[in-house]
Amino acid sequence: MISPHIDTVRETIAGMLVARGQEAHFGEDESLFDSGRLDSIAAVDVLMTLESQFGIDLSDPDFDISRIDTLQEIDRLLMAHAS
Amino acid sequence: MISNYNIAYGFHESASRYPTHEALVAGAERFTYRDLETAVQRLSAALAPNLTSGRVGILATRSSQACIGILATAWAGGTYVPISLKLPAGRMLELFDILDLDALIVDPAGQKLLTPDLEARAPAAIFAPGDAPGEFKRLRETGTASNPAVASAPAQIDSDHTAYIEFTSGTTGRPKGVMVSTSAVSAYLDAMHGWYDFGATDRAAETCDITFDLSVHNMLTTWKAGAALFIMRPLDMLAPARFINNHNITTWLSVPSVVAMARKAGGLSRGSMPSLRISLFCGEPLPVDAANAWQQAAPNSIVDNIYGPTEVTIACLRQTWTSNGRETESRGIVAIGHPYPSVKARIVDADLQPVQDGVSGEIALAGAQLADGYFRQPELTAERFPSIDGERWYLTGDRGFMDADGVFHHLGRLDNQIKLHGHRIELEEIDAGLREAANTDLAVAVAWPLNNGIAEGLVGFCSGSNRDALEISNRLRAILPPHMVPARIDQIDDMPLNANGKIDRNALTRRLEAEQLNLEVAS
Repeated sequence: MISPHIDTVRETIAGMLVARGQEAHFGEDESLFDSGRLDSIAAVDVLMTLESQFGIDLSDPDFDISRIDTLQEIDRLLMAHAS
Repeated sequence: MISNYNIAYGFHESASRYPTHEALVAGAERFTYRDLETAVQRLSAALAPNLTSGRVGILATRSSQACIGILATAWAGGTYVPISLKLPAGRMLELFDILDLDALIVDPAGQKLLTPDLEARAPAAIFAPGDAPGEFKRLRETGTASNPAVASAPAQIDSDHTAYIEFTSGTTGRPKGVMVSTSAVSAYLDAMHGWYDFGATDRAAETCDITFDLSVHNMLTTWKAGAALFIMRPLDMLAPARFINNHNITTWLSVPSVVAMARKAGGLSRGSMPSLRISLFCGEPLPVDAANAWQQAAPNSIVDNIYGPTEVTIACLRQTWTSNGRETESRGIVAIGHPYPSVKARIVDADLQPVQDGVSGEIALAGAQLADGYFRQPELTAERFPSIDGERWYLTGDRGFMDADGVFHHLGRLDNQIKLHGHRIELEEIDAGLREAANTDLAVAVAWPLNNGIAEGLVGFCSGSNRDALEISNRLRAILPPHMVPARIDQIDDMPLNANGKIDRNALTRRLEAEQLNLEVAS
C-alpha cells in the first residue's frame, strides 16, 4: 500500500461493511464485490468517493471499473492516477 | 413448440453444427461448443445414476460451473434448482430439507459456503470444481470409482417435465418455488427466435444471477443460436459499456436498474456501445428516459421492453420501443405491449371477470407459458392459478389496463410486492423476519426512498422491541438474504394502525415523505 489516500479508502470501505452488519476488518487482497461482501450500491459509492475526493475520471476510457475489487487494486489505481 | 423439449436440445444441435465456435467465456476460462459439450456429458454421466426425484441443486452463479451444472442436469433428464449464494445458512438448510435433492453442484464460491452443518444436510452426491476448467470431482467419494456411460444426446423427457424451479419471495415469510415446465420454456424460445434473428455470430452477455429467470433467456437463446455467452461479474454490471466493448457484445437482456446504475457511475455516453444490435429489458418498469439513454448509447441496436412474472416463464408480453414505441404516460415508463404468440392476457376485476378497455384491474395471463405452480404448495397454486371458464389462468397481482389499441399498460401492484434493484420482494416476507428479529408483533417494512414510484431502498419500523436497531439488523441478516434487509430500522412508539387494526404501511410512507420534506426545507 503506497498511495497516501489508501487509508481514507480503507476507512470508507470498513464503514460500508459495518453498516451492512459485517466485521470492519478486510484483507488487502480480499474480494469485496465479486465475493458478494458488498453490493453494487456500495460499489457505486466507492466510485463516487474515488471521483469526488481523488479526482479519478470515471468516464476515462482507460478506467477499468472491474479493477476495484480489492484494496490492492484500488491502491494501484490511485497510484497510476497520481503519476 | 415441442412438448418433449429437453432444454439442452438447442445447445446439443449447436454443438454438432459449430463445434469450434466459442460457446462460453467466464473470465479467463473459454469453452468452445465441443469443450463445453464434453464437460456437460461427463458431469451428466456422473449425475444420472443419482437421479430419483430428478432435482439437482445448483449452488453457484456467474461461473462456468453454474452453466455446465444447468446443462448437465438437463442433459441427464433432471430438474435444476438454483440456490442463491446469498441465503443465510439457516435458510439454505431449510431449502435442502424441503427440496429432497438428488445432487448438488457447486462452484468455487458455493463450495466455500459448505460448512460441516450444511454438508451434513446436503444430498450425498456433491460435485465440486475439479483440477481443470470444466472438470468436476465428487466430494466424499465412496466405493470404487466407476466410469459411467456417457450419453451422446440429451435424455428423452416426458411432456410434463419440469425444467427448473426458481425460488421467489413469499408473503408467508418463506420463499416459494415456481415450477416451470420444459414445454413452457420451448414456447418462450419459439416466440423470441421468431422475433429476433439470434445467430451464430452473436455475442451475448450474461447479466444475471442464475436465481433470476432472465438468465434462462440469456443461456438458452444464445446456445440455441450457436452464439457465445460472456459471463459478467457483479462489478462489470456498473460499467456495461466497457464490458460490451471489450467483448463486442451484440445482444443484451438485463433489468432496467442496470441503466440507472450505469448512468450514476458515469458510464453510458452517447454512441458508446456501437456493437449492440438487440437490447432487451425485463423484470422492472422501464423508465422512458432510461430506454432513451440506452438507445443513444447503443445507436445500432433496437431497444425493446418485455414483461412477465417468473410464473409465466421469463417474459410473456412485449413492447417494441425503437419502432413505434408506446408509453404509459401516467408513469413515464415504456408500455408492456402485446402478449407473446402462445400467451393470452386480459384485465380482470375482483370477481375475475374481464373489464372494458381502459378500465384498470388485475393483469391475468393464460397459455402455454404458464408455470405448473408452486413446489409443494397446492393451496397457493390453486389460489394464484384459478380456472376461469375452463381455462387455467395466472393472476399476476399486477395492476394494469388495456388501451383502445390492445396495448397493455402496467400500473403497479395490487399487493405489497416490490421490485428492488431487480429483486422481486414480498414486503410481508421482510415483515415476518422483522417480527422474529425484533421479538415484537409490531414490525413492518416499507419501500423507501421512492423515485417516480420505483423503490430504491427499504426502511424497517418496529414498536415495542426489547432489542436495539443494530441487534435487530444483525438478527435479520441470519434470516433474510442481504437485499431484503432494510438499510435503516426505526424504533417508534406509535405504530400507525388502519381501521382493521393492521399496521398502516401507507401512513409510514407518508411519515418518511414528511421527514424528507422537512430535511429539504431545513437545507
